[in-house]
This record gives sequence, structure tokens and C-alpha cells, in this order.
Amino acid sequence: MTGSAALELRGIRKAYPGIVAVDDVDLTLYAGEIHALVGENGAGKSTLAGIAAGERAADAGTVTAAGTVGLVHQHFELVQRLRVWENVLLGREPRKGMEIDAAAARAHVLDLAQRNGLQIEPDAAVESLPVGVQQRVELLRELDRNPAVLLLDEPTAALAPAEIASFFATIVQLAQRGTAVLIVTHKLQEVIDYATRITVMRHGRVVERMRTGETTVDAIARAMVGGELPVVAQRRPTQPRPCLRVRMPELTLDVNGGEIVGIAGVEGNGQTALVDVIAGLANAEGIVEIDAGDRPNLGIIPQDRQTEALVMTWPVVDNVILGRQSILRHGATIDRARAIADAQQIEKQYDVRAASLKTPIRALSGGNQQKVVVGRALIDDPALIVAYNPTRGIDVGAAALVQSRLIEARNRGAAVLLVSFELDEIFALADRILVMYRGGIVGEIDARDDGARAEVGRLMAGAR
Amino acid sequence: MRRWLTGPVGAMVLVLALMSLAMIVAGTSPVDGFRALIVGALGGRNEIGETLVATSALLFPSLGVALAFRAGLFNIGAEGQLLIGALLAGAAGAQMHNAPWIAIVTMLVLGAIGGGVWGAIAGFMRARFGASEIISTLMLNFVAADFALALVNGPLKGPLATGAETAWLVPQYWMPTLLPQTRLSIGILIAIAIAIVLQWVLSRTVFGFELRACGDAPEAARRSGINIGRLTWIALSLSGAIAGVGGATIVAGELHRFNTQLSPGYGFTAIAVALVGDLQPLWICVAAFGFGILESGGLAMQAAAQVPKDAIHVIEGLIILVLAARRYVATRAEGTV
Amino acid sequence: MSGIFGALIVLTLIKATPLIYAALGGVISERSGVVNIALEGMMATGAFTAVIVSYASHSALAGLLAAVLAGALVGLVLAIAATRFKVDQIVAGMGINLICSGAAAYGLVLIFNQPGASAQVPALGRQYWLLVLLAFALAVALQWVLQRTPWGLRVRACGENPRAAAAAGIDPLALRMWAVTYSGMLAALGGAFLSIGELNLYSDGMTAGRGFIALAAVIFGRWNPLGAAGAALVFGFFEALQYVLQGRIAWLPADAMQALPYLAALFALAGITGRVRAPASDGVPY
Repeated sequence: MTGSAALELRGIRKAYPGIVAVDDVDLTLYAGEIHALVGENGAGKSTLAGIAAGERAADAGTVTAAGTVGLVHQHFELVQRLRVWENVLLGREPRKGMEIDAAAARAHVLDLAQRNGLQIEPDAAVESLPVGVQQRVELLRELDRNPAVLLLDEPTAALAPAEIASFFATIVQLAQRGTAVLIVTHKLQEVIDYATRITVMRHGRVVERMRTGETTVDAIARAMVGGELPVVAQRRPTQPRPCLRVRMPELTLDVNGGEIVGIAGVEGNGQTALVDVIAGLANAEGIVEIDAGDRPNLGIIPQDRQTEALVMTWPVVDNVILGRQSILRHGATIDRARAIADAQQIEKQYDVRAASLKTPIRALSGGNQQKVVVGRALIDDPALIVAYNPTRGIDVGAAALVQSRLIEARNRGAAVLLVSFELDEIFALADRILVMYRGGIVGEIDARDDGARAEVGRLMAGAR
Repeated sequence: MRRWLTGPVGAMVLVLALMSLAMIVAGTSPVDGFRALIVGALGGRNEIGETLVATSALLFPSLGVALAFRAGLFNIGAEGQLLIGALLAGAAGAQMHNAPWIAIVTMLVLGAIGGGVWGAIAGFMRARFGASEIISTLMLNFVAADFALALVNGPLKGPLATGAETAWLVPQYWMPTLLPQTRLSIGILIAIAIAIVLQWVLSRTVFGFELRACGDAPEAARRSGINIGRLTWIALSLSGAIAGVGGATIVAGELHRFNTQLSPGYGFTAIAVALVGDLQPLWICVAAFGFGILESGGLAMQAAAQVPKDAIHVIEGLIILVLAARRYVATRAEGTV
Repeated sequence: MSGIFGALIVLTLIKATPLIYAALGGVISERSGVVNIALEGMMATGAFTAVIVSYASHSALAGLLAAVLAGALVGLVLAIAATRFKVDQIVAGMGINLICSGAAAYGLVLIFNQPGASAQVPALGRQYWLLVLLAFALAVALQWVLQRTPWGLRVRACGENPRAAAAAGIDPLALRMWAVTYSGMLAALGGAFLSIGELNLYSDGMTAGRGFIALAAVIFGRWNPLGAAGAALVFGFFEALQYVLQGRIAWLPADAMQALPYLAALFALAGITGRVRAPASDGVPY
């Protein structure tokens, strides 16, 4: 099945200020193979993929490709307000005189989609499409250039379990026709299921090369982390007492103190709106009540730490103040002594690695930034914690620490609402699981039931 | 290095270099040109007084502009806010019959109210409708100028006035002179006091913290529970009020009447001053003094070095263009311009 | 009465023309993702250049062409600042406005040896009606270019998501550079219309905020060439109205009436902004 070398990377190196993202990496892809590139967040996988695709320049090393190299981005690079065919054919528009030949363009895109077994509506505006369909658009754009090599960066992150199978059917078909495919992913079961060879990266270097027949999920995970996996805190019995009560036309939700309720669902099914309503940032028809007792109401871990949670140019201390102004208020001014003490406490409890608390927070790694966000949300011991993808894009060690702190807060009696696109995370943390689909809750599953995973997967895809 | 170059010191060096270049192009040696400038600005009691008068006139709108910028709002309407503040102060001062200190305080308060309302209009439009404050504050400059002209050509025209101006204030209503035998009034002390208070507000208070959060990361600010709409109109109102007080001090302190020509573009120069001062109130005091030297020494330089005073606007523009390489506002809200 | 009505229509067309040019310049720049606050300065540059070249060459047409070139130059400055140096586009635009108006004021002193206004120079005369027609023709043409041609699609893509455009093999920086340069040419043409079309001289401050009114027209016209031209007509109407009404309404002084077009722009801005959507990457450096 595998043929000649389609892509050769030799001695690739790329450094950013303060960090070597990719360090002397060799990688060869053969025509017709599906190759998995795995590693922790920050291991340098996406940087390497970007270099291979020619989107960024390496500091050293050579890239040799047998043809064009296509890249499907983790966060799709699509023009939301343009139509599907406009996105697919952007830069290579068929012409009739000086105008774009729209009819030819539509026919071309339909034909391309059919040949690859993908369904698409060429005239739909991309912004009106579900995330999974948007990925198809990006895939089609790359396929239209007949790539010898196709790079897929976390391609299944935004897909429901059912969509994942059909997505891989397309990819396997492509490989059979001779395309070399590289999948950058952290979902190791998919690696075992679909890839033939595996390259493991850690801290910018290749640390292991494996064949799927000869390895296991656990072995790959240990290679990624470079040792044993960190342990997450234990759940302890708690006394449930009602805390959050949401009554909306399409959605009923109760979260008790002392439990973690996980909201599973594919991105774009109303999770953001739900979080905003609970946080009081959006109005909605219905009731949202929080019974906090004598504790502060709410601690929030927003989805995107860089734009929604932190002021990146500010020092760590000032970011610890943000959102807690009323708590730290001292007359008209801010009690900076207390703020510094709080920041020191977070630094200690969360093992935050920062040169100083006066360092601008953008100088910290993603994992350390997220520790500050979580620490800030939990420090005042709120009755309700809303955590939206709390471990997204951070390394395994930081993720385990964040998850442990959430469990400990639950053990202390806090109500935790965990909204996550990662089923693994939901199953690792949640006491109860609710599935969101098209803005509503479509089912509740006990996390400990046999077959819960399959049931959640079905519900996420819209089955009732 | 980059930060230093684009910071206040780098900007000052740039000003001097550009001015030298302009003088060489005009066929004068920079040494003669700068000597003329310095002598013209600082060569004697009267010259120093005039330089500080210009410093004071620039300092108010610059502080206002900086306050708005720190909140992520581009207030380019300081000129109009200053004018409305001056107009209200001048109109009231010419009609009043109270004790002098009541009259002076009233004029200053009316100046703040006038400028504040002018800023609040833009703030309300931004907060309520999302209308770009850049365009609205600029439009309001023209509206202010036209209204002021209509009023001082009509009902507010002084009985003895030949041009477009109000009646003179009675001498008891003039603000006390700070430097005897010059036009410099205690207005400059008010400006410095405002700068000190503003520095404290921005760095220490909850309000200042929230204001800076809006400017540096609006989405994070909103999600942390800060009411951005409320902050927007408060920031633009305060910004306008500070510029408006400045207008009132020109009327009560130096000109002693309202005249439509009272500002040669202080509100626009203020943008350069605020940027050179790195949006920090205390640095802005230093920057305003530097620009005050340019304003008052410029005339002397014009005579000695053959560089027209208008060239200073070109230099101000170049400074702003160079300083634009720094980021003042994190991400602008969608659909604002 | 029909006399007033006819005069109002003619005056509206004349007053709207420079706004249309500037607004089209604003549309093309912002659709590519660069906020163009410098329209005002570009207009001033066009107005001033047209006058000095017309003065030197005794040809209004030469003045017109020179104005377009000068506008391209100013556009290029903003374009390079915005693409190469990734500056804050709004701050840079304000700087360019000051440079342009200051340089023109400086130029008046250097060339005509008098501050405030230039000498009278050869103007376009009756030919300026061709420029009025051209403005409308360009609006239609630009609409076609943006909606129907490959280049237009690419401009729109860059204004929405330059990284997606780059992923499709387009160079967003080069494209923005051209778009902003064209923007400068259009705005300068509008400025030249003010100085050697409507009049035959340049005076300080003659653009009088029209660049900003044009920006309001861009928003009011939802970033579409035809919409922006329509909005420019509306604002042009209010400017014309102010001239026609002057002296006809006793209780309203002429000075106050001059504020009419600015107030119209303010109200339009307040009324429309919440209901329109700017290009997603408008003003965001790539």
C-alpha cells in the first residue's frame, strides 16, 4: 500500500523567543500511508505541520515534497461570510471573460465533493454551516489542489463520534488512492484505529517512532509524557444540596453542590449561550437561580483564556484581580496587598511557573496561564464553578492539576458545571452527564453506566 | 530597544531630528533655528509665561484624550469639547454679577459640563448604538464650531465686539495670575492637579482598573462583569469634561472672553501630546511642556529659520505615525469603523 | 419654487460627488481589511496637489492627474504602515491627516507666499460634470468588481479573514497594499473635485471633515459601493439643503445651518451602526 516518499523533512528547527518549538526533526511520509504525529500540547506538532505545509519558514532544515502539500487547520481558516464554492475555489476561480464563472465553479465543487464521497451545498454561506460541515469545506479546498501530501491538524476535535467514522472513511479512501496523510492528534484511540505509523514528539524533538500493530494507547501516552501519567485527585462522598437551577424553554438544568455535571456535545450546539446566560452576560427567556448560601456566587473559567479571561499585556497580579474588583475593593481603591497575597497563594497551590508576579502574563506558557485563570476562579471558594473546556490546549501535567483542583472543589461542596468538547474529560470528571444538541439538553446519562460512552456519542450526533 | 525607540524619549529625539531636517531643507542651520526656538520660548519672563500658557492649554485636552485612549476610545473631538466648554464659560462669565470666586468656579464648572456633555453625546452614541466614536467626536467638532459661531455672531455677541466673540469678563472675574506680568494664570495648576489625580485614578482605583481593562482587553473585561457601555459613556464624558475645563481656563485665565479663534487646534495637537506622553498623565505633563515650547517658540523660529509654523503640524503628524507602531488598544470591537 | 427645487437637485449632485469618491475609496480599503481614517488627508492632498499642478502647468487636467498620483502616494504610505509595519491603523490615519493638512498649509506659504488660501488657478470649468458622471460610473463599476471578479472576491476574503485567504494561496499584504493605494487615488480625486472642479483654488480646511462624512457613508452603505454612493448622495443633499435654505429661514442663523451635514452624518451613524456588520478583519493587522 505504501509507496515512494511523498514528503521528507530533514533537520527541521524552529525557535520562538524563549522557546525552541521544533528541534532537529526528521520525518518521512510515504505515498498512501496514514501517519500519526502525536505529542502533548506545546510539543511542536502544529508548528512542524505548518512548516511542512509551507505556511511558516523553518530556521534550519529542508522540506522536500513530491507535489503540493495541503493543510486542514485545527481552527478552520475559512471566510465565514463567503459561500462554500467561493471558499473552495478562492485564488483559483474559474473565469468567463473578466468575471468569475459561478456556474462552472458550482459544478466543479459539486463534482469534487462527489468524487471524494462528501456531501456539500455549494451555495450555502459557510457561517450558516455546522462545524463538521465547515471542516468538509476546508478539506475540499485542499483536495482541489490534488495534494500529494495532506496534513490534518486535530481533524476530529470538533466532530461528533458518528461523524468521525465517516471522516476517516474519506481519509482512508484518499490514502488508498496514493495521498500521503499526516494526522496531528491527541486522540490516541483514533491513532491505533486508523494510522499505520506513529511519530511521538516531546519538547520539540522526536522521541519515539512506532508502528500501530506493535503498540498500545498506554504506551503511546507514556512516550508523549516521558514517564508515568499524572494522577488526578480522588472523588469523595459529598452531601448534595441544590445550587444552580436553570429553567428555559429548551433546557432544564440543575446542578447540586458536591457534584460535577458534565455537558457533552459537539462545538456549536449552544454551549456558549448556556454559559453566558448562567454568567449573566446574556439575557434569555426563563429562570436562572443560584443558591450560594454564604459563599460567593460564581467562579468562571472561560473558554478562551487569551481573549476572554486574561489581559495578556498585564502582570500576573493584575490578572488575579480581574473579575474580583468588588471583593478586593477598599474604598475607591484596590487592596493591592491582598491581591499580591492571593497571587502568591495561586502561584504556590497551582505550581505556576512565572519569573515574577509582575511578569506580563503573555510571557507564561499556556498551561501556566490557564492555572492562573483556574486559580482566580476558585480562590474565593464560590458555590458554583462553570468550567468551559478548562484543559484545552495545555500540557498533561497542567491539565491533571486543573482537573484535580476542580474535583477538590467539588469535594468541598462546590457545584461544578463542566462544559467540554472532550468526551474523555467529561468521563474523567463528571458525576452526571448531560448531552447538548442544537441548544437543548437531549439526554442525561449516569457516567458509571456500561455503554454510557456509546449512548453519549449517539446523542451528540442528534439521535433521540 | 524597540520599546525605547517608540516610547516618549524616542519620540522627543524624533521631533528634534525632524525639525533639524526641516531647517536644513529651508536653508538654515539647525543651531540657529533651535536657538531661535529656545530663546523665543524660554528667553525671558514673558516668553516663559507664553510657553506655559500654551502648555496649560495643551495639557487639559491631552489628559482628556489620554483618559479616553486608555479606555480604548479614540476621542478626536477634544477640540470641540474644549470649544463648548469655553463657550459656556464665556457666555456665563459675561452675564454674571456674583462674588468673583463664585463666578470663576461657576465658569470652570460650566466648562466641565459643556465639554462633558459634548463627550457624553459621543459616549451615549457608542454605548447605545455602537456608533464609532471616531467619526462622531470628529463630526461634533464641526457642530461645535458652527454652533459657537452662530451664537457669538448672534445672541452672545459682545456689544462692543468687532469679531465673533462675547463681551469681556469684568477684571474681577479673571483667574488670578500665577507669574506676575505675564498672561499665565493659575489654570496650569489645575491642569497639573488633574494630571496627578488621573494618574492615581488609573493606577490605584477600581474605576481606573476597569477602564484600563476595557482598553486593553474588552472581551475579557466584559466577561469579568464590567459594564462596558456604562464605562464608555463615563470615560468619554470625563474626557470631554477635562478638555472643557481647559477651554474655561483659557477664557477665565488668559483671553478673558470667548472667541471662536481661541484654539489653534489644541485638541488635535493633544493627540500627539498624549501619545508622546505614552498615555501616562505625569509623562503627558512633560510632553505638553515640550509641545508648549514648540507652540510659543514656533513663531520666533518662523522668523529666524524661515520654517513656517504650519510645518509643526507635519512634524506632529509624523510623530503620531511613528508612534502608531505601538499597540494602544488590544482588539477593537467589531463593526465600529 | 421649481427654481429652488432644480437648484437643490443640481447642488446635491455637486456636493455629493467628492463624498462619493471618498466613500468608494473607504469601501475598497475597508473591504480589504484596512480602516481608512486618512480619507480626509487624502482628499486634502488631492485638492492641494490639483491646485499647485494646475497653477504650474496651466492645465486643470494635469492637476487632476497629479492629484490622483499624489493620492496614490498617500495611500501607499498608509498601506505600507498598515501592512509592513502593522501599525494601529486608526492612530496612523490620524497622523496622516495631520501631515497632509499641515503640508498643504506649509505649501501655501512656500508656493503662493500667503497663508490660508492659494491664488486662483485654471479649473475644470464645465467639464467637471464629467467628474460627476464618473463618480456614479465608478460606483457601479466597483460594485461589479467586488461582487463579480476574482480580484473582488479576494479583496472580500482578505477583509474577512486574511489567514484563510493566505491558506488559499493569496498574499493578503500585497492585496491590501493595492486596495489602500486605490483608496487614496479615489479620495484624492474627490479632493481635486473640491478645489479645481467646484472652485478654482485651495484653502486651508476646505475638506471640512468630508473624509469622515464619507466614512459614515461607508457604514451607512453597508460597505457596498452602491450603498455608500447612495449614502453620499443623502449627505450631499443635506449640504445642498443648507445652501438653499440660507437666508430663507429668518430664525435659523446661517452659521448654525452649516452644521446640517455633520448632524445628518451623526444621526445616520446612530441609526444604522447596530444593524450592520463590518468586514470581520477590518482594522486588524495581518
